[in-house]
Amino acid sequence: MRNERAFELESITVHYGHARALEDVDLHVAEGEVVALLGDNGAGKSTLLKVMSGAHRPTAGRIHAHGAEVDFRSPKDAAAAGVQMVYQDLALVDAMDIAANLSLGREHVVKGPLGRLGVLDRRRMRKESQAELDALGVRTAPMTRPVELLSGGQRQVVAIARAAARLGERGVLLLDEPTAALGHEQTELVEDLIRALAVKGTAIVIVTHNLPLAMAVSDRVVVLNRGRKVGDIATSLADQDRVVSWITGAAVQGD
Amino acid sequence: MTMTGSVHQLSRSKRLPAKVRGLILVRDQGLLMLWIAIVILFAYLAAPYFFTVATGIAMLNSASIASIYAAGLAVGVMTGVFDLSVPGTAALAGVVTALLLRAGVPVWAAILAGLLIGVLVGIVNALIVIKGFDPLIVTIAMLSVLSGTSLILAGGNNVSGLQGLTFMGTQTYLWIPAPVYIALALFLVLTVFLKTTRAGMRLLAVGGNAEAARRVGIPVSRYRVLGFSISALCAALGGIVTSAYVTTASPGASVSIVFDGMTAVALAGIPFIGGRGSLPRVALGAIVVATISTGLLLTGVQTYWSSIATGVLLVGGLALNMWTSRTATNLLLTGDTGKRAVE
Repeated sequence: MRNERAFELESITVHYGHARALEDVDLHVAEGEVVALLGDNGAGKSTLLKVMSGAHRPTAGRIHAHGAEVDFRSPKDAAAAGVQMVYQDLALVDAMDIAANLSLGREHVVKGPLGRLGVLDRRRMRKESQAELDALGVRTAPMTRPVELLSGGQRQVVAIARAAARLGERGVLLLDEPTAALGHEQTELVEDLIRALAVKGTAIVIVTHNLPLAMAVSDRVVVLNRGRKVGDIATSLADQDRVVSWITGAAVQGD
Repeated sequence: MTMTGSVHQLSRSKRLPAKVRGLILVRDQGLLMLWIAIVILFAYLAAPYFFTVATGIAMLNSASIASIYAAGLAVGVMTGVFDLSVPGTAALAGVVTALLLRAGVPVWAAILAGLLIGVLVGIVNALIVIKGFDPLIVTIAMLSVLSGTSLILAGGNNVSGLQGLTFMGTQTYLWIPAPVYIALALFLVLTVFLKTTRAGMRLLAVGGNAEAARRVGIPVSRYRVLGFSISALCAALGGIVTSAYVTTASPGASVSIVFDGMTAVALAGIPFIGGRGSLPRVALGAIVVATISTGLLLTGVQTYWSSIATGVLLVGGLALNMWTSRTATNLLLTGDTGKRAVE
């Protein structure tokens, strides 16, 4: 039985001085569900993302993770509550290989006195990185390949896998424009990975401009316009033209 | 889909396209090829004086002292900082060690004091930079302060008579002068540190992408302190070895140390944006510079030419490096979009 409320935002309002970035927005995502958060520039997507990832505290509203109310004062708090975010810039170290990027910050050292000197166990790091990617069912490149020699899609996969590996069970993954500037095949690679993560029970929120991506990969689309939620509908029931009219502000749900 | 290893099916292919592998070979081994070419050229032009054991040893010796500074600068650059205070640190460490020796302090204690001063300078540099000041300006200011301090300590004069340091200066072991061994040991230790330890890996990560390091929970400031400290420690060691070699500590900061060191770093293909680089290649870079100046000297060309040759080589090396990296990245990254996907 899946938890229908893995991550839940209730009446989120964000004011920057007099500017109202978000007004009374509700959003929830279930375990194993992919929610696409759509909206035009300035609709409030980024602000909502910052609230969800702990980078920004809302002016008003409540956040629940797995039913418990949480108060994110920093991305660290969010990470502790099982919420990981993949930024658009990916934040990978280009000169380092895939294994190093996946292990960075939780590196393994060898056993014994050399380990106390901080000598890395690269073989174990490679093995675990490979296992992490295998578990997600994606094939990228050898673990020893530097990230700078990966294609855009492969980089995105590494960044998502790194976040996924830190989620633990029943995590919440936030993705910011995961397929921006990717070509068709590369986009498919990333879409497959997102689906694989959802099957494992990860709750996923994708923030995007890309309507085809949203329709292809999400279970539900949520549309923001000028800081308000104007649409929230199962993707299977969503009519693309209707969603576009929500995004542009020509209509709101229920019209 | 064919198995030609094209970019479009990288998700399946385990090998890089041949063209990219070729570019990477040029990028990684170009300096060695260049050095061999220069050696052959001078062996011909400056025969019979150039290609001899004695010349080789003299060259190694001058390269080794330059490479000690270069090692520090390289670690700084990899960590994402330009440490321009290196000549000041070297002068101060040399002067302090010399003064302590003259005051009758045991040799080991005097050397240790000089090295500790280096570490202290590095920590102070880092603590100021962490506050958000531009490292370039901070280290220039530090250079100024340090050279003033060492001039005051030394009373404006050279501190001579450092016979106690001959063992690490002019002394040879198995025909090879001491500074070569010191440089070798330093490069070995630093290379092992950067390549195999957790702290080394994190240091490089901070240099390569500080934001990425921060997001995975690495205490970035602490690694900045470490980077500056290593740079300053190398500078202090270089200052002490230089003093030992000429048995005189000179309190004047010699700015050319930075230029020669940075030349070696740049020849090694270490991008000044940080995050990567190979120390053995920095050593090779220092050897290339020494080879050119020795070679030109022996061919009887005016020595000023060696400075011009080094400058031309430097820009040439940078151009080659940029071209190989860019071409390789474009080949791999764009694939089917024609645009860079990230950054």
